[in-house]
Amino acid sequence: MTSKRMTFKRVVNGIEVVAVIAALIWVFMLFANDPSGGDATNAGPPGAATFASNCARCHGADGEGSIGPQLAGKVAEKYPDVADEIAVVTNGRNAMPSFEGGLSDEQIQQVVEYTRTGLGG
Amino acid sequence: MTAPAVGHRDTVTVKVLGVFLAGAAVSILLGVYGDTHTPTGEKPYNLIFTDTIQLKVWFATAAVALALLQVLLAMRLYGKINWPRTAPSWLGDAHRLCGTLAFLVTLPVAYQCLWALGFQSTPTRVLVHSLVGCLFYGAFVAKVLAVRFHGLPGWSLPVIGGIVFTALVVIFLTSSVWFFTDRPAGLPLF
Repeated sequence: MTSKRMTFKRVVNGIEVVAVIAALIWVFMLFANDPSGGDATNAGPPGAATFASNCARCHGADGEGSIGPQLAGKVAEKYPDVADEIAVVTNGRNAMPSFEGGLSDEQIQQVVEYTRTGLGG
Repeated sequence: MTAPAVGHRDTVTVKVLGVFLAGAAVSILLGVYGDTHTPTGEKPYNLIFTDTIQLKVWFATAAVALALLQVLLAMRLYGKINWPRTAPSWLGDAHRLCGTLAFLVTLPVAYQCLWALGFQSTPTRVLVHSLVGCLFYGAFVAKVLAVRFHGLPGWSLPVIGGIVFTALVVIFLTSSVWFFTDRPAGLPLF
């Protein structure tokens, strides 16, 4: 085996070790950074938990927008009639899925209210 | 059939089952984590990209490109293609390197998916992405174990490798390709 070949083999072996360490760190971070199990008495306003579990993934943790549009400071302006926003959450629109069945009517109302007041809407 | 031959076949069967069970366990554990963990909705990093979503899209694209190269190298190793005519001695190491780099590149993508977004069942594209995302890492663990175990049937590595590659392609189709073709108007590509 030539020295270049041996060097290449060593580099590949080294990168595999790095990958194993990275995977272990990855697993550790999944659990170390887990915000689950928060105190129920510190749950925040109604709708906040629902927002975090269902809406934040697309609209951002603070409603700042991501895959989905910005909600904070914008949504009340876009939907002056709260019933229209409730209809969007219930029925879905374009890439946004319907939450009918997944969330109760009360949860939908609470999360809509949260987007209009809790996010600075 | 003589006793040693029967014993050998049992050992091979146990190894194959062990590899598949280990992979299944990883897939299921990731699915359980994604489903029970409260998504944070946060975007922990974007490096040089506009946002985390763009980072994930391009990292996933890089992973698929590396995986495709790895498949081509595997095809040459198994003699399914004849180019180059003389297989260089470093081909196997290059195959390993491509796979390792592809795996590394998926880690920040999958971390944000699992930790910030969680397992989702709607819409269908996201459900498929969630399920196959978990399958990918289980299949990857099975592939790594299969490489290290001796005496496995000759079909095991290509089959498991094929599952890993197929899973990665499905993940790519349900995320990056969706982003390239159907992303909301105004969302930048990079």
